[in-house]
Amino acid sequence: MNITSLTDYIIERLPEIWQRIGEHIFLAGISTMTAVLVGIPLGILAFYRPGLRGPLLGIVSILQTIPSLAMLVILLALFQKIGVIPAIVALILYALLPIVRNTLAALQGIAPEIIEAARGIGMTEWQRMRLIRIPLGIPVIMAGIRTASVAGVGIATLAAFIGAGGLGEFINRGLALSNTRLIFLGAIPAALLALLVDLVLGFIEKVCDPKRNRHWSHRFHFALKLSIVLIPLFLLIPVFISSPPWSSQTAGSSERNETKGINVVRIASKNFTEQLILAEMMAQMIEKRTHLSVDRKFNLGGTIICHQALKRGEIDLYAEYTGTGLMAILKLPAMNNPDEVYHRVSEEYLNRFNLVWLEPFGFNNTYTLTVRKQDAVQNQWKIISDLIPMSSKLVAGFSGEFQERPDGYPGFQKVYGFKFGEVHDLDPGLIYQALAKGAVDVIDGYLTDGRIPAYNLISLTDDKKFFPPYYAAPVVREEVLNAYPDLREALAPLGSLIDNTTMRVLNYEVNGNRRGVSEVVTEFLQDKEVL
Amino acid sequence: MITLDQVSKSYDGVSRVINNLSFEVLEGEILILLGSSGCGKSTILKMINRLIDPTEGRIYLDGKDIQQQDPIELRRSLGYVFQGIGLFPHFSIRENISMVPRLLGWPEDRINNRYRELLELVQLSPEIHADRFPDELSGGQQQRVAVARALAADPAYLLMDEPFGALDAITRDSIQQEFLDLKQRLNKTIIFVTHDIIEAVTLGDRIAILHEGRLEQIGTSEEIMENPATDFVRELFAKSVKFWKGFKNIS
Repeated sequence: MNITSLTDYIIERLPEIWQRIGEHIFLAGISTMTAVLVGIPLGILAFYRPGLRGPLLGIVSILQTIPSLAMLVILLALFQKIGVIPAIVALILYALLPIVRNTLAALQGIAPEIIEAARGIGMTEWQRMRLIRIPLGIPVIMAGIRTASVAGVGIATLAAFIGAGGLGEFINRGLALSNTRLIFLGAIPAALLALLVDLVLGFIEKVCDPKRNRHWSHRFHFALKLSIVLIPLFLLIPVFISSPPWSSQTAGSSERNETKGINVVRIASKNFTEQLILAEMMAQMIEKRTHLSVDRKFNLGGTIICHQALKRGEIDLYAEYTGTGLMAILKLPAMNNPDEVYHRVSEEYLNRFNLVWLEPFGFNNTYTLTVRKQDAVQNQWKIISDLIPMSSKLVAGFSGEFQERPDGYPGFQKVYGFKFGEVHDLDPGLIYQALAKGAVDVIDGYLTDGRIPAYNLISLTDDKKFFPPYYAAPVVREEVLNAYPDLREALAPLGSLIDNTTMRVLNYEVNGNRRGVSEVVTEFLQDKEVL
Repeated sequence: MITLDQVSKSYDGVSRVINNLSFEVLEGEILILLGSSGCGKSTILKMINRLIDPTEGRIYLDGKDIQQQDPIELRRSLGYVFQGIGLFPHFSIRENISMVPRLLGWPEDRINNRYRELLELVQLSPEIHADRFPDELSGGQQQRVAVARALAADPAYLLMDEPFGALDAITRDSIQQEFLDLKQRLNKTIIFVTHDIIEAVTLGDRIAILHEGRLEQIGTSEEIMENPATDFVRELFAKSVKFWKGFKNIS
């Protein structure tokens, strides 16, 4: 890629970059501020109540050891909501430890003779806290705030998994599309932002240090004023440079369309290329063929998150796969006949959730084991059972979902009667690359994935018919279908429009040829004359 | 007048840091509490301003039991010069000296007059030193500020815990002299803790000698030297009496 196209690439996305930076500062800023407001009093409480110290520090330490994604999912379940709120709560919980711990250490660290003098001249408990302990402890407390802020900027990149926006949005999309440029677009500004926050807070920390600044009480007041002005300003940046984070572009706007009476359909997608293509396809059809406008909530962190959001009415539709609906959502046993699966799923969804399955797009994106083409040729692998003689020497790289689901690796082992020598847990966005680069030998590929031809890989035939059918179809809230009758009609032309080969080509256009999703979709729909 | 009446202090309920101590501090005198470290001298000062409460016995300030008084008000009414100075490192000299008047809610102009007056009293310059910070001053200057801070609200009593202990001999000599001059002008009742016999003899109107939490003897330096009450007192003074005799022979 040459410099001009790189510059163009960035300039083209500049408005979104600014918007994401704004959202990112908003997420990290508001959560760190709240953590300061909660954490400092908690630190003071721990200081006065030694009995509470152990339990309190224990709890905030444990909170910090919870992996960030797990934390987000737990809070998602707790709040029954995607978007900004659970993300901010997660960030607050992470920021607490350094702030509480440093506040306590700061208050405990004051020289005892100074405290004795303060008592001895007749300061009350509160005066000692306000005039002696806190001012002398400020550098240590500030160091805690600084640690929390910098970590917060980093962790905030994960907020995008639950649709809270921020720079993680680029990283997620980049992972989903295996597009390194997009990942950098999120990662580099996030890193720069973290450095900037570190520098600014480091400066304030220095200014506040009574040991380094002679007339620090004046400087302290200056720094205090400065931060009182700067912090809200930081928080307002999102408002000025773009639409604010609660606007239509991101989640958190869930209730907006109902309350304002604007006819908006909210379309979601999971975080991989095919989902983005299908969601964009449905979005363009609705935009072109109805008076409705579309709110794109793409790249949510997985099946459960999409399904929960749909059930709760935070989104209106997304594309789901019949097999996934049957086993992952409804927890029903596997079935092999595609029509039976579709009918069973449609019926159950309508009864249990008031959700409607529209006509499938036509392709079957089932799991299949995928290997490098050169290995397949060399070892004459065509069907999965061909792997048996070498299985103990093979290293598998499977997505987390595949390792857990009954129609994934656990069921696979029962039906095929063998397992692989080693299994690594890999992000679905990375497994194809990992296979192509030789890090693993076998992966759980999707049959329609564009990266299979792109990386010169090959899918093995499921000779024992283990993997159930995964026909993709739009799943829509019944309520929305009733409210907007032309919606069903608008999506109807997509039914049976895409076969396996076509889907693979579309995926390849995006993954292999690095073209934009909306461009590929528009071209395809125009070509099929359905737009 | 400060009266200690059969005061004892024990931290563990068994051994007594202060053992059945009774004495009086007379109006306008400097009473020196003299003893080696660990004999409980500082504990007595801390009990008088209620940083520590006695296990047994009573302490009276002008006839009133201090246990019946609000500790915060009591402390603000007593001047205290702490061992190791205890200036607040993040406040300027002016802010340090003005602290107690400020806690007492004095009006601003009165505070401003007072800190200038006090700085001049301890021979520092309001123009040069007021806006400096404790660690920008020499040890002797810090000590003067500590005395000024203790005097700020014009207390009738001054508690001084080895105030000159950390100073070099020459500085200590001159500051002791200044302190005596100051004392003449102020008419305060002062309890002064030290482990230095020469300092005790130089500054004290009377000396109370403490050993292992007990009072060995109380009286003027002449009374004690001429008539030591216990072996401990005799041995303690033997060396310095030799020193004084030698000093007199030379001069």
